[in-house]
Amino acid sequence: MKKVLFSLVGVLVVASLLASACAPKATPTPTPKPEATPTPVPPTPTPKPPEAKKVTITLWHQWGGDYLKAIEQAFQDYMAAHPNVTIDLSKPEDTANALSVAIPAGEGPDIIGWANDRIGDQALAGNIVPLDDYGITMSFLEKTYEPAAVRGVVWQDKIWALPESQEGIAFVYNKAMVDEKYLPTDPTDFDALLAKAKAFYEDTGKYLVCNQGLGNPDAYHVAPIYFGFGVPEYVDDQGNAYLGTPEALAAAEWMVKFSQYAPGETSHDICKAMIVDGNAGAWWTGPWAIADLEAAGIDYGILPMGKPFVGIKTLMLSANAVDRGNAEVALDIMKYFTSGEVQKKIALVNKTIPAPTGAVQDPEIKALATLAGFGASMNLGVPMANTPYASAQWGPVGDATTALWTGAQTPQEAMAGAQAAIETAIAGMK
Amino acid sequence: MVGWSGRRKTLTILLFVAPTLLGLLIFSIFPLVLNIFISLTNRGKFHPNPDCTQTIWKIVEPTCWLGNPPKGLAEPFGFQTPVYQNYADLLGGLFGRAGLVALLHIVIALLPLLAAWYLNRRFDRQLTRPVPSWMVWLGGLVGVFLVSRLADVPGAYNTLLRAGNFIMVNIRTILYVVVCMPLFFTLGLIMALILNNRHIKGLTFFRVILIVPWAASTVAIMMSLVWQFFFRERGTINQLVGLLNIKGPAFLNNSLWAFVIVVLVNLWYTYPFFMVSLLGGLQSIPQELYEAAEVDGASWWKQLINITLPLLRPIALPIIVLSSLTTYKIDAVVWSLTRGGPIAGAGKPGATEFVMLHAYKQIFETQAYGRMGAFAVILFVMLFAATLYSLRITRITKGAYE
Repeated sequence: MKKVLFSLVGVLVVASLLASACAPKATPTPTPKPEATPTPVPPTPTPKPPEAKKVTITLWHQWGGDYLKAIEQAFQDYMAAHPNVTIDLSKPEDTANALSVAIPAGEGPDIIGWANDRIGDQALAGNIVPLDDYGITMSFLEKTYEPAAVRGVVWQDKIWALPESQEGIAFVYNKAMVDEKYLPTDPTDFDALLAKAKAFYEDTGKYLVCNQGLGNPDAYHVAPIYFGFGVPEYVDDQGNAYLGTPEALAAAEWMVKFSQYAPGETSHDICKAMIVDGNAGAWWTGPWAIADLEAAGIDYGILPMGKPFVGIKTLMLSANAVDRGNAEVALDIMKYFTSGEVQKKIALVNKTIPAPTGAVQDPEIKALATLAGFGASMNLGVPMANTPYASAQWGPVGDATTALWTGAQTPQEAMAGAQAAIETAIAGMK
Repeated sequence: MVGWSGRRKTLTILLFVAPTLLGLLIFSIFPLVLNIFISLTNRGKFHPNPDCTQTIWKIVEPTCWLGNPPKGLAEPFGFQTPVYQNYADLLGGLFGRAGLVALLHIVIALLPLLAAWYLNRRFDRQLTRPVPSWMVWLGGLVGVFLVSRLADVPGAYNTLLRAGNFIMVNIRTILYVVVCMPLFFTLGLIMALILNNRHIKGLTFFRVILIVPWAASTVAIMMSLVWQFFFRERGTINQLVGLLNIKGPAFLNNSLWAFVIVVLVNLWYTYPFFMVSLLGGLQSIPQELYEAAEVDGASWWKQLINITLPLLRPIALPIIVLSSLTTYKIDAVVWSLTRGGPIAGAGKPGATEFVMLHAYKQIFETQAYGRMGAFAVILFVMLFAATLYSLRITRITKGAYE
């Protein structure tokens, strides 16, 4: 009997530990808000959510680091204004596989916060539903959001998501460490960047720039180099791949030369540690890293370099929200979060580039230095496609780039291999 | 105890085993059947959902049972034409002309070992051996070396590596097992021999310390990350040699180094298992045999070869077989060390991408469910055969002490 009791208590303790670990992070202590009006008014006349019924809306997202705090605050504000709604934020480890299991089982989230390149394959799998059926029209989209963001969420004449912010990567450098003469002046002049990286390495013994796509399979972060050399896209809307082109080969050969003056192994965390510890002068990264740099007290500047992918961060409505009858409330939250007011507040803290026109046109946002820096980079950029073909590009380009970076393959072999792998994947899809 | 009619008895027995049968059916038989069906289809990232109007999928596919099947824009998956296409894709390269010729070359190169084994058996039957057994084996090995030069085994090996990713990862995994086993056994035996010496002071302490890696394997992923930290470009080892102004390599970016490191770390995890098992074996060898040998003037080495090793055989064989199977299926340790890398290029498995890692990557990164279903079926057949064989070995060796 005693034993049973003990094991029961043990199970309870473990369960409570688990429960507390899973519980949403305690809200940051009620911060004295500088804003005068804490009542967030949704921008458009929204259908009133059923007041009496308590609803919990689950949202799976990709936000991380210090970036998340301002976002959480925005959802706290919504919950304060709508006491019957609870918003449960969580960040699953492996979203794609988690969704493919959870949604058919009815255990998935109501809202998915993800980049627009996932629209195609999620729509194919039936994990998300088009928003046209829930009163979102093209005219509403065009009135509310920036044109590039609108293009990013429409696929096969249907609206699949609401855009929240736009993002792309740029050359973010530590002003205290990198002299004017080492900085790129022409975003398309890669020979100059190579010469400057070499000079910086020889003069200081440190690396000029850390790019987590060089030395780590990450096709997104090397995109500015490939596109900067004139590759139009990795894969286009018709499913044609462009890794077998002379431009791609030129980019690959440049990377091999550049590898002498850059760290051999990288990742987001290695690059972050390098710039924080002063082992690298710059970090080829996006707005999400700014909060971390500010926390480290680094005085940074942002310059355009190459032609990055321009991704649209979006909120998608899951098929489970419809099954549970949560669609209207979920859509109201999506509209609220992607509104000009909310995105302005977030952009002021997180230095993101908002997608709603109302926020982009705001004088306070326009005055942000980060917006100017990342904006200049994104103006050169290539919009991320939302067709399902897009999902065939990441693995092959990342692996091929890593193989040539470590010397496992020659640029010719690597690019031919990537081209073949993408073509095989797309052939399997057609 | 009369009055048990045959039917009632059967019913009672059936009721007693029903829970087990049900569990087997749900957790073993059904997934197996479903997997076999999926292995015949083109299910994957672009055809993720079943066509629930078809009777076959209504019966075997769980997402069809709930009455609310996923409705995506994608075409539902269907059977391949021909139906065994996935199997042909995986194994096709092996049964082509080049593949068969390469296999033949490798078999020919191994013939001298077979000859050595046969010669030894013949010599054993004679009253006095003309040559000691180790010399015959050595001759066999030299023969293998010579014949493999003649039969161009490296060329055949490369042909097989090009015959498809499935064959490549299998060959690498088998090579890994073949490299690991002697190391596991030798280190385990050395440690067991040392710990079996009663004259060492603080024996219990050392026995506990040496088992630590085994205990640590319950947190294998964490320990592997610690090991990985040693070998990173800016890891512990390179920081240490950096003090001597030497710039160490990025070990994990080099295929050979990565392979060596994976062997080394697995050796660290596994030798305690061999050590403990062999120590048990050593202690069950009767002491009188050694006393008698000493009276006869046998050296320590002679005792090891003629008493210890033969009597350890009943213990050693099963643990080697068992350990070979688990090493073949190794995943978490290698995954957290190298992620199967270093990356060899797009669509090519890395140097340490062993069978399970390859399957994991193909399923969870490429979502090639159909092809990997076929992969799993082939692997199941291979491991099932290996397990049956190991059972036979263990049963045979059981009789040694009886």
